[in-house]
Amino acid sequence: MILKYELSKENLALCALVPGEEIYYCLPLDIDLEGNYRHDSYTVMTNKRVLVLEEGNLTRQFELKECDEIRSEPQIACGIVYLVKGDTQILLGRFTAKHLTRYSYLFRGMQILKRGRTERVISNEYERSCPKCGRALPGTKECPRCMGKRRGLLSVFWEMLKPHVGRLLVILVLMLAATLATLAGPAIQRGLVDDVLLKENGEYGMAIVYLLGMLVTSVGIVVINAEKSYLCSKLGAYIGEDQRKKLFVKIQKLSLSFITDRSPGELMNRIVRDTARIKDFFSDVFCNLFTISILFVCTCICMLVLNWKLAVLAFVFAPFSVTLSVAWRKNIRKRFHLQGIKSDKMNNNLQDVISGMAVVKSYGQEYREAEHFDNTADEYARIQKGNEVFFAIFYPILSFLLGVGIYLVTYFGGRGVLLGSMSRGELWQFVNYTTLLYSYVNWMSGMPRAFMNLITSLERIGDVLNQEPAIINPSDAVEHEIEGEIIFNNASFGYKSYQPVLENVNLTVRKGEMIGLVGASGTGKSTLINLIMHLYEVDDGEILVDGIDIHKIKLENFHSQIGVVLQENFLFAGTIFNNIKFAKPHAGYEEVIRVAKLANAHDFICRLPDGYNTYVGERGYNLSGGERQRIAIARAMLNDPRLLILDEATASLDTESEYLIQKAIGRLTEGRTTFAIAHRLSTLKDANRLVVIDGHHIAEVGTHEELLAKKGIYYGLVQAQLKVRP
Amino acid sequence: MNEDFALSQMEQETDQMLRIRYITNENAEFSRTGTGFISLKIEGEFYTRVQVVRMFPFMHKDEFISVRTTDERSKEIGIIEKLSDMDADTAEMIREQLTLRYFTPAITKIIGIKDEYGYAYWNVLTNYGECRFTIQMGGNAVVHLSETRILIIDIDENRFEIPDITVLSNGERKKLDLFL
Repeated sequence: MILKYELSKENLALCALVPGEEIYYCLPLDIDLEGNYRHDSYTVMTNKRVLVLEEGNLTRQFELKECDEIRSEPQIACGIVYLVKGDTQILLGRFTAKHLTRYSYLFRGMQILKRGRTERVISNEYERSCPKCGRALPGTKECPRCMGKRRGLLSVFWEMLKPHVGRLLVILVLMLAATLATLAGPAIQRGLVDDVLLKENGEYGMAIVYLLGMLVTSVGIVVINAEKSYLCSKLGAYIGEDQRKKLFVKIQKLSLSFITDRSPGELMNRIVRDTARIKDFFSDVFCNLFTISILFVCTCICMLVLNWKLAVLAFVFAPFSVTLSVAWRKNIRKRFHLQGIKSDKMNNNLQDVISGMAVVKSYGQEYREAEHFDNTADEYARIQKGNEVFFAIFYPILSFLLGVGIYLVTYFGGRGVLLGSMSRGELWQFVNYTTLLYSYVNWMSGMPRAFMNLITSLERIGDVLNQEPAIINPSDAVEHEIEGEIIFNNASFGYKSYQPVLENVNLTVRKGEMIGLVGASGTGKSTLINLIMHLYEVDDGEILVDGIDIHKIKLENFHSQIGVVLQENFLFAGTIFNNIKFAKPHAGYEEVIRVAKLANAHDFICRLPDGYNTYVGERGYNLSGGERQRIAIARAMLNDPRLLILDEATASLDTESEYLIQKAIGRLTEGRTTFAIAHRLSTLKDANRLVVIDGHHIAEVGTHEELLAKKGIYYGLVQAQLKVRP
Repeated sequence: MNEDFALSQMEQETDQMLRIRYITNENAEFSRTGTGFISLKIEGEFYTRVQVVRMFPFMHKDEFISVRTTDERSKEIGIIEKLSDMDADTAEMIREQLTLRYFTPAITKIIGIKDEYGYAYWNVLTNYGECRFTIQMGGNAVVHLSETRILIIDIDENRFEIPDITVLSNGERKKLDLFL
């Protein structure tokens, strides 16, 4: 995302930069305080000052040292930016939602500059529309349209085709064969007309020869095209598969931040839909692309050779035909798009009412809802009817208009035949070529869209493939058997660089200690745990595991030694047995049974009809929350982790299963360094120490008794819970 | 002793949250900070900067305005029932802050809409000047506030409003058809 817009010369002159001063950030103030659009106003931050430029004037400036902070505040569909100087806030200006995210980076930018450092805050977020051409970007870094114009596309294309060169060659040969056969068809028919049918006493034998010729070309075309389509579909499927595999591997490698920045649906789309589009392109478009281009050129040449005047006449009508069919397609798309919207609306309405049936009934609103549904259904029916009628009436008319060129060719050609300048067979051949020509031209008019779809998909896939994982082990990374001592040294972190979630965290956790993390939601407890699991990299400071920088421990090696139990534990589609041994695929039966017993899961598993073979996960056997939890605990135990993470592991469970799980957890945490988050403070009574997180910092550390005696935040939390749950 | 104190404090806070306090000319005094914001003195409390929020932004622009603190918790200080009941100077001050907070240009003329590959590119005249924006097709970019009034949300989450689609010309309506 752009954080430094280019200033015009005039504006730059207004800034009057002194030697050693440099512009770090420059963001538009694209509306004024009343809301009127402005096009030449900016907030500028240099390493010395903050300046406000408004429509060709320098209206205000502040020295960095006299300001405490620069803050931006989202409003409703716009935002404001202001400076903080002690108690006063000074409004600098206003901007539209387009720049909201940009402005939020200024805060950190100023903090860095004020400390006398020189690094620039860089935004990894993408622009939502192309700064060059203004088109919306489909969630990609580069604009597919602008990139399509560059050389890049061809090499990407070639890259995909390279492993399939052999197959490609066969396809090209078939394409040539198909071209020849298609062109031969009308030529043979002409021979039949001229040499047999119109001769005074045409020979029966000749007729058979021509007919055989026609049969062979027709069958040839069918066979070749079938073979070609088959091969192209196969090529498409292979290429699609290559891309899917590459994407999946890459997505797993990328850091969590890349995944969490995007919705699962979006990533699934990239793996499923975009690769399918590439597949479709190869099997539907690519397959015909060369054949039709060659055929198109050959047909043109044949026509010109046969009768150039008639050919020109036929060509003149081609653009007319293309325009007509493009316009038609656009119109039809628009109409059916509208129909789709109405159908969605009806479906949503239906879904809404059906899922809320209890509410509708209990408030006696059936009639009102029925009426409402009637209206949407009527509207949908009206539009659908209109569209069908439109299609039925205009499609034949369109086909007629598209064929107008043919009628003209036939008329003038027919005159030629009557005047003797053209043979009847030639006319036949010519009319056939014209029909072919028009069908090719129409086919090709759909090309720009097909290419744009392809480029967009390629771009969206390339966007993931070219992504660098945020966590990369340095080359000197080591394998390390974790003992369990964790030290935070001035660690700071934010999911978005401009929004710190944890600042300057210092904490030493001894081997085997159980730490309870406490604090209001959103204060950074889960973030702290994510950092311990090394799912994210700290922005500042360091985390040491047994004295080794966490960054220097091989990721896989590190992760294999951590056990995690979350509030909502994800069970994969598969059996309970497989789910328990997920972290240790080669575990034996006895091992699995032993941990299941330790986790108080063995008994309930035995009660299930299919025992350890019970299928769980999506569309599987429905386990209760407590049961899933105990399976997750067994899973964590099997690994014999050195480091244990419990994130709300006992929340939202009934008392009995909570008791069983508490017991299980008690066994699990023995002798292991454990970090546990819990809202219900009673869960943390076994913790050696409690860490209270508040306002991005560690606010209090100590045992339950120490913190109670301190009468601080923890004390308040305990009081509040006693009140709610005596 | 201390325990009781903490509890009574919590109860007090809850009570405060439940209370509806109306802000009137009598109990409150707004003033400009001189740096773009407004401060408020009310019943012995003083707030260096307050935030004004419309409770019914689509129905009543100048009624039921919640005055709140600007910190993260954004606690309600009080409610202005009708802006017109406040004295002129105060009403003006609050209107300024409301203008600052809410930005929804009203579209007065549709110059053109072009749809291309899943996005629609609009070129419109608004009461704040000419503007181009982009919306995603097939999403929830167009919201019907009523039969005749629509709200449009672009890819940057800017908002635009067409207060009454019936006053648009036939040509403009046709361009809009795809989204209604």
